[in-house]
Amino acid sequence: MAECAHRWEMANVRFGFVVFERCPHCLEVRTHFADEANALDEYREGRCTWRTVENAQSLKFDLRCRACGLVEDLSELMGLLYCTECLAECGVGQLQAALQAEKTWLVVAFGHLPESKQRPFASGKLEALTDYFNQRRDVSRSKVKVVPFHDMVRHISQCRGEFLHDVGALSPDVVVERKRLL
Amino acid sequence: MNTKDLIEKLELKALSRFEHREATGVFVSDMLSDVMAGAKSGNLWVTVQTHKSIVPAANLVDVAAVIVTSGKNVPPDTIELASKHGIALLATPLPAFELICKLYALGLATK
Repeated sequence: MAECAHRWEMANVRFGFVVFERCPHCLEVRTHFADEANALDEYREGRCTWRTVENAQSLKFDLRCRACGLVEDLSELMGLLYCTECLAECGVGQLQAALQAEKTWLVVAFGHLPESKQRPFASGKLEALTDYFNQRRDVSRSKVKVVPFHDMVRHISQCRGEFLHDVGALSPDVVVERKRLL
Repeated sequence: MNTKDLIEKLELKALSRFEHREATGVFVSDMLSDVMAGAKSGNLWVTVQTHKSIVPAANLVDVAAVIVTSGKNVPPDTIELASKHGIALLATPLPAFELICKLYALGLATK
């Protein structure tokens, strides 16, 4: 039987919020996805006190092949970040500079923290995401390549890439500058 | 209808450097997540958002142009990023509803 040339579509789409929490003692950041914005302001867990530092409106989705029905589970995907080549020594920025001539734009896939620090995305999921976004576009003009956060972004605290999240969307105040997420 | 014709017919202001292309439909939203989920290649994305994160969202789903409505002031870093990626960033003083009515009258709808 011939292998399926998957034609991906979004499946199991859920709109909600990526909640960023930080412990002021250990300075660790962790994230989770919530269906509603009313996250806990602060709570204790072991030696840590977790405080919500940001809610970013976003979506969760899986990919399903329209031809064979295969579902690629993307529940570990926290968000996508667009590389702006902000750091000369960053692996993503260097790759972006190399691919710019062929009009390929890099998108970094972030998993939820802290799990993704230990468990990088499976390459098959990244390939499925790359194929999905390219199947949605006119690839004769330009392409997208999805790369992993793990090992690629060295200085995340200095990264000026653009997260594809709606930060401050629920604020009653006019957002002049979006908050940094990490 | 291509972006060159649209600019002329609707008196849109072109803010970035880009190559003209065919527009096949309209998508209206101020949420990046909405655009990622629902916009289609070749759509005109109508929004009041002006932060530079609209550029990667527009590029990711390959819209034909982003049209910023209601005379919103678009920051220079948004225009610069759009030019770098060849994303058509257009502006109009019209509110979104009026612009959408005009687009509909030109034969463009949700596709």
